[in-house]
Amino acid sequence: MLVGIDVGGTYTDAVLLDAGKVIRQIKVASEHGQVLASILTALDEILQGIETQCIERVALSTTLVTNAIVQGKLDPVGLFIMPGPGADWRGRLAAEPLVLSGYVDHRGRERQEIALDEVKQTCKKMAGVKLFAVSGKFAVRNPAQEQKVAGILAAAMQPLHIACGSTVSGNLNFIRRTNSAYYNAAVWQRFQDFADAAAAALAERGVQAPILILKADGGTLPLAKARELPVESIFTGPAASVLGVMGLCPPAKPAVSLDIGGTTTDIALWKGGAPLMDAKGAAINGYLTAVRTFRLHSIGLGGDSWLRRDGDRLLIGPERKGSAMALGGAEPTVTDALIVAGLSDFGDRGLAEAAIQRLVFPGKSLQETAQVIIDQAAEIVANAVREMLAIEAAAPVYKVEDIVRPELLRPELLIGVGGGAAGLTPLIAEKFKLAWQVPPLAMVANALGAALARPTLHISLRADTAAGEYTVPELSLRLPLNDRRYSIQQAVKQAALHLQEMAAAAGITADEIETTFGEEFNLVRGFSTVGKIVHVGVQIKPGIIAGLIDAAATGGAGT
Amino acid sequence: MSNAKAKPLGLVFFPAFDWAISPTHPEREERLLFTRDQVLEEGLLDLPQIREYKPRLASIADLERVHIGVPDIASLITDAHRVSAGGAITAAESVLRGETAKAFALVRPPGHHAMRVVHGTRGFCTVNIEAVMIESLRRKYGLRRVAIVDTDVHHGDGTQDIYYHDPDTLFISFHQDGRTLYPGSGFPNEAGSPAALMSTVNIPLPPGTTDQGLHAVLDELVLPMLADFQPDLIVNSAGQDNHYSDPLANMAVTAQGYARLAEKLRADVAVLEGGYSIEDALPYVNVGIILAMAGLDYRRVLEPDLDRAPVQSAATTAYIGKLIADWQGKWANREQLRRSALAAAGNSWKRERDIYYDDSQIMEHQRESIHYCPHCPGYMAISTESSGSRTGDKSAFAVVLQQESCLVCRERGKDALIKAKRQRDHQYFVLQDKKEDSCGRI
Ligand SMILES: [Zn+2]
Ligand SMILES: [Zn+2]
Repeated sequence: MLVGIDVGGTYTDAVLLDAGKVIRQIKVASEHGQVLASILTALDEILQGIETQCIERVALSTTLVTNAIVQGKLDPVGLFIMPGPGADWRGRLAAEPLVLSGYVDHRGRERQEIALDEVKQTCKKMAGVKLFAVSGKFAVRNPAQEQKVAGILAAAMQPLHIACGSTVSGNLNFIRRTNSAYYNAAVWQRFQDFADAAAAALAERGVQAPILILKADGGTLPLAKARELPVESIFTGPAASVLGVMGLCPPAKPAVSLDIGGTTTDIALWKGGAPLMDAKGAAINGYLTAVRTFRLHSIGLGGDSWLRRDGDRLLIGPERKGSAMALGGAEPTVTDALIVAGLSDFGDRGLAEAAIQRLVFPGKSLQETAQVIIDQAAEIVANAVREMLAIEAAAPVYKVEDIVRPELLRPELLIGVGGGAAGLTPLIAEKFKLAWQVPPLAMVANALGAALARPTLHISLRADTAAGEYTVPELSLRLPLNDRRYSIQQAVKQAALHLQEMAAAAGITADEIETTFGEEFNLVRGFSTVGKIVHVGVQIKPGIIAGLIDAAATGGAGT
Repeated sequence: MSNAKAKPLGLVFFPAFDWAISPTHPEREERLLFTRDQVLEEGLLDLPQIREYKPRLASIADLERVHIGVPDIASLITDAHRVSAGGAITAAESVLRGETAKAFALVRPPGHHAMRVVHGTRGFCTVNIEAVMIESLRRKYGLRRVAIVDTDVHHGDGTQDIYYHDPDTLFISFHQDGRTLYPGSGFPNEAGSPAALMSTVNIPLPPGTTDQGLHAVLDELVLPMLADFQPDLIVNSAGQDNHYSDPLANMAVTAQGYARLAEKLRADVAVLEGGYSIEDALPYVNVGIILAMAGLDYRRVLEPDLDRAPVQSAATTAYIGKLIADWQGKWANREQLRRSALAAAGNSWKRERDIYYDDSQIMEHQRESIHYCPHCPGYMAISTESSGSRTGDKSAFAVVLQQESCLVCRERGKDALIKAKRQRDHQYFVLQDKKEDSCGRI
């Protein structure tokens, strides 16, 4: 049996799966600021009467790291950077850095050495600091300088953790890698404490199954591996629900999925059966990081969005003033309108009518008013979808082929999950003349996504045959390469070997490996070819460990 | 320093990673690879002061607003040319629509050696992307006065050719002296045909010119000329081969020199041209130009091997000083020079040239005649013959009618074309009619 728990700001959802079927689902109020307590409340409830030996895995999607960052509960970090010459980094980093001399260039050649004395002098200013982040420009092309500084820190400072920019992300973008490394160090201790407590609490309950932590990119990591990369567990709520869609009704066609929750709607785009990723990374507290996420567009509209009139105008959200009046709230909400319109069927209908009565338009009935409200709500979401599709179509591409024969995303299906999905999804689909689907269990798609998410890892490999070497920054590897005709296929194979080794060490099975990108350039100097640059990315295919049986057979659908 | 409310720099970055003239040609897939790496690593595309745009495809009509292709422009280009010209248009339109303060089309293939008549590819260029951009803007936004400052190390002979008779376009090119570098032109006496005399300004610089010489020319000549001309739009043909590490030329400009130039020039639109030191110069020069155009601090953008940048010799400094003084004198007298040239020309002005297409190994022989009119800009007739093309020798006779050509001139131009067709001395007969915005065979 599989357990999935998603701790959200308002609710904690949990599901229990057995043989591809959801056998139990619960929703409990989250205990404010008490992530572990929320998890255990949900766990105890969902495991009631279940033999704990039957549990095969427990996957957690938590707000722990997100909350720590948003609330500024961050530990002091010694942030060392080697920016070299170039653009101004000031104002772009999440913490004040200590700037070291030394840098490498875009080919990974060391152009200025690290000044060892300078590092040692700087260490003296850091007495008592136990967490460090080290980041150099172009360290992904040559991690040696980061390694050297980390080595000095390890010897001199008895650190608890040192995060290197090139290991938290193999992508180009010095600013984002630096911020990722910084946050990784700043939340490290808090995450260790959580991991220790979670492991102990589960052991106490006799649960011996492995614990997995969901990441923002929709993959999971075994707890031991997640301890190294806590920053990856930010913003997992929306990722969990995208994975839930994958478990409930994986779209075979290009699609748009909506997670219509209490206060927000998260929109994702699907192509080739998979959600689109954000290649650059998430923004945390206004600072850009390299943490991979799904490409999500979030708007402030959900079932609990507050309804009120401003003269003739009806205003919807983005504020939430509590739950729907039908459920005992104080202010009218979108959910109340859905109930009055007959599109949702729960809570107290009389209270919902009283809610809409407050907003009724002159000359319009209660029913008509509810219709106007939900149409306006649907239009808000539809506009956000249009905007997202327009941004996708306008995304820059760097090849002639991609301009002349663009692969435009033309969605053929709209999928809705989350509490407000059943009522709103058909209306939004109508605006696009799209087929739509609201799977059963759409209310707990998030917890389901966590329960089913596969463990994933990704790495990149860049070979420079003229320099006679290849680099795998995520593993801090820079190895010799003596094959002038090295091809993309060879690079993918080699990268896959490194990935399998990394996976084995982390206790992950790497059976399905996919290529995320591949590019190859001849290096020509003078008029002759002197080598090649081959750059590839590989990952354990993200997705779900097993589909649900008969998931799509029931629920709502239409055209 | 710009603040968050100021309009951003529009950036069209199009490295054409799947296009090359040939595998080992300087214009190959890899050319902007290291520039892309540097731009991404610096995180420039994340800055609110920079907004990236996807290039659009220029239409054949966009290209034919400028060019007369023989046999036609469509058969001479690849899709990449339509993207790079379209990228320049996309960049410029972001400025004219008011979305951006300035724009930089960091695109390839380049265009400044492509002339009005096109038989093939010369100096890596087939269509003149700046001219295609400018004529598109003139058509759509009604711009009139445009200044082009060509800062590529090679003389922008294609742009010069296209605007040689246009007094509304000021073309300023500084470049390594044509006696020492391709294409071997761009001397001060090439200053425009009589009605447009002194709207072409060539400043041939000696090999070894550094930031110092370049900024002297900029401060004492180019910027005052721009102030006098009062253009509606300033375009920078932003070639980067004046860099000290460029393998195809012999100048000594640095990334800082280029960035400061971009800052002072305040071009509305910059369009990448040449620059073939793809590892040692382009990443730094492009980052410098982007930061400078976006109003950001570029002072720390330094090449790792900056200490090998040469120092300018005293002889070079003196030579440049004299060049500047000569031009200042002529510029002050420009009205009078133009009047006397027009008076001497009478009813028409002619020139006859051979034009070599190094990339296509084609030799063109061209005769141009401008027919003046007291009421309008007149019309132009061109006879062109080429040999050496793999598809055989070609010839064409073309008449160009200007936007403001009067009815009489329009009829005369068309008559000349019909007469030429009757004589059957050429294979193709083309009418480029700027008023009708059309170009086609008759
Ligand atoms: Zn050039
Ligand atoms: Zn006339």
